[in-house]
Amino acid sequence: MTMDRRSVLGLGGAIAAGVALAPGLHLIAAPADKSTPETAPVRTGKRWAMLIDTTRCTADCTECTQACRAENNVPLFGDPDRDIHWIRKVELRDQNRRQAPISLPVLCNHCENPPCVHVCPTEASFIRHDGLVLIDKHRCIGCRYCIIACPYKARSLVFYKTRPPRDANPNVPIRAAGVVEKCTFCVHRIDDGKPPACVEACTKANKGAMLFGDINDPNSEISQRLLKEKTQTIRPDLGLKPHVHYKGI
Amino acid sequence: MKSPTSLAGRLSRVSFLILVLIAAWTMALSIGEAGPPQPEKAVRGPCVRDAEWMRRNHMDFLKHKREETVREGIAVKSESFLACAGCHQSRERFCDRCHAYAVVAPNCFECHQYPK
Amino acid sequence: MLSEFTAIPGRSLAFWRMVGAMLVLVLMGAGAFFYVEHHGHAVTGMNNQIVWGLPHVFAISLLVMASGALNMGSMSTVFAVKQFEQFGRFSAFLSIALLVGGLAVLMLDLGRPDNMLLPMVYMNFRSMFTWNVFLYTGFMTLCLLYLWTMFEYKQYKKLVGTAAFGWRLVLTTGTGSIFGVIQGREVFGSAITAPTFVAISLTSGTAIGILLLVHTYRRTGRQLDDKLIFGMRNALIFFLALVAYLLIVEKFTRFYDPSSYAVESWILNGPWAWLYWLGVWGVGVLIPLVLMFNREIGNSVGGVLVASGFVVAGAFCFVAHTLLAGQSYPFDLFPGYVTSSAFQDGVAGSYVPTLSELFLGLGGVGISGLIFLLGIRFFRMLPEKAVAPAGWELPWTP
Repeated sequence: MTMDRRSVLGLGGAIAAGVALAPGLHLIAAPADKSTPETAPVRTGKRWAMLIDTTRCTADCTECTQACRAENNVPLFGDPDRDIHWIRKVELRDQNRRQAPISLPVLCNHCENPPCVHVCPTEASFIRHDGLVLIDKHRCIGCRYCIIACPYKARSLVFYKTRPPRDANPNVPIRAAGVVEKCTFCVHRIDDGKPPACVEACTKANKGAMLFGDINDPNSEISQRLLKEKTQTIRPDLGLKPHVHYKGI
Repeated sequence: MKSPTSLAGRLSRVSFLILVLIAAWTMALSIGEAGPPQPEKAVRGPCVRDAEWMRRNHMDFLKHKREETVREGIAVKSESFLACAGCHQSRERFCDRCHAYAVVAPNCFECHQYPK
Repeated sequence: MLSEFTAIPGRSLAFWRMVGAMLVLVLMGAGAFFYVEHHGHAVTGMNNQIVWGLPHVFAISLLVMASGALNMGSMSTVFAVKQFEQFGRFSAFLSIALLVGGLAVLMLDLGRPDNMLLPMVYMNFRSMFTWNVFLYTGFMTLCLLYLWTMFEYKQYKKLVGTAAFGWRLVLTTGTGSIFGVIQGREVFGSAITAPTFVAISLTSGTAIGILLLVHTYRRTGRQLDDKLIFGMRNALIFFLALVAYLLIVEKFTRFYDPSSYAVESWILNGPWAWLYWLGVWGVGVLIPLVLMFNREIGNSVGGVLVASGFVVAGAFCFVAHTLLAGQSYPFDLFPGYVTSSAFQDGVAGSYVPTLSELFLGLGGVGISGLIFLLGIRFFRMLPEKAVAPAGWELPWTP
């Protein structure tokens, strides 16, 4: 049997039309499950934020970054261009070098208008009900558009295949190569009612440079301090409304 | 339609016959081990759902749970991967053996850990 | 006026050699894909600052050229320049071939190519990539329908051809917008970027059309009227002027704003400035213009071919410059401060492409080439004899 060329062309058109239309169809039905009290969604009205007091942060201290790597099983590949950094210490010097350098940690700012979420084609990056900007790695296709969009350099692609370290924290999945990842504000700890690992480590080391809390609660310590003290966010001009506040820059 | 007396037609018939024979042969060889492998018995119970239901639906269940956990923040500890390991101690005997038999390769454990 | 459309015979050794060469490219691309898949993206030159590298340069160049390759068809269908009607089939088909090659590279460079169908299941309509799923599949559909109407239902040709033309403008605007509306990267913040991409698609698409058309006709010993090529040369000159205009206007708007002085001096004088001056301006605009304005070179088909080659290379340079210079510009997290960290804060990103990326990109070229070669071999894409209509004179010659 031979198909004449015209019908082959027509068939190709039909297939392409199908491909164009297929995206509109929902392949996966919305789950319909009864919520028991234990499974109530996190619609607690909370809005998590962080306050970093750079006057209490010192250049020689890496407690927060170390705690983050241990808690979240973040490896160091020894390849500076491709290492994963959920939180990093940045040193600032004013251009005239008149003031002492400032040292501070930079992490995902969990913006209210996150550009990474806006550009993500599959909604793998999303905002959770309590304002956390998270990555659903099951959906990530590794297109890296979010890395292009994030002005804080908070995201890293997993360039290497890794195995879990022997003493891995079982509560945090390790990583598949080819997905993008970043700070989660230690979402697994927040859901257990604990502060992020970096904040805990900073407090334990008696630095007290990091404070974490709910800014929707006007009586929380962070709300009070944000009210009283002069703080700023990174690049407020971009209008992203970040939720990591800094004091002392 | 041409009648399939050409060389190509004959060849394709013969190769189909050979394929059928090979399939029958492999099936005959594997008769001794009939049925899917039984997953490892739980060391305690009961399971989060009926065991028979889980056998059929665990993949949808897990997929549904992962959406809820990751995106909605409904982390039900008793129904997590980590909790599976509380009763079914070996990932090899509980998950992998049957997946290998059914030739499905879910990539859960590329990232998730199954505690020993 | 139209002579009979025929498929090329494609029985010669030279033809199958070309098919073989394309197959080799495809195999190289496949090899590179599996190599990167197996080892992770660490074996590429890409890093956390430059996350889109050479594969994306190839992919986006092919996609931009794909939309531009429709020009010859649109010229006749939309703008009633009847002498190009005979190249309508060729033009729509070339679009499809280039699009498939470019998309393949884009898809195969994903970090998780196993998830490449997820964008069709979950959609975020704020993302240009989600729009691209529709724009690319829609463009391909329209091109196929356009082809079909040209083969069989001539009465709908105008309608479908016009739709395809409109779609291609939106498509390229979409592709260009990816690099025009990223607020966080100072270099990717110009509203003129998207129109410039459209202009580049006009030049490069026309140029690749000229190159393939002339070569196909020469190697199959068919007759192609030089006047037709010179008509396209004139269009190419006009499109190049458009590119130059947009490039200059962009600089003009940027230099009006003191806050972009740093970015602009980075582009015009920074580590990627050579690509901007030599590649985008020199190879992409000035050299071809000079060649085509020259009375001798511009009036020979060979000269137009050389100029077209420069234009295609220039489009590649334009995409490369947009991507690489844009991404390597250091983030300015704390304006007024000098920053340093273990994560290259305050440092320009560096990027050295690796062979695997080159092979992956060439794989896409191979796919496009293979589709093109087999397409003109098995379908009646080109007229036996391409002549300009009687009495048609070129309005201008150098």
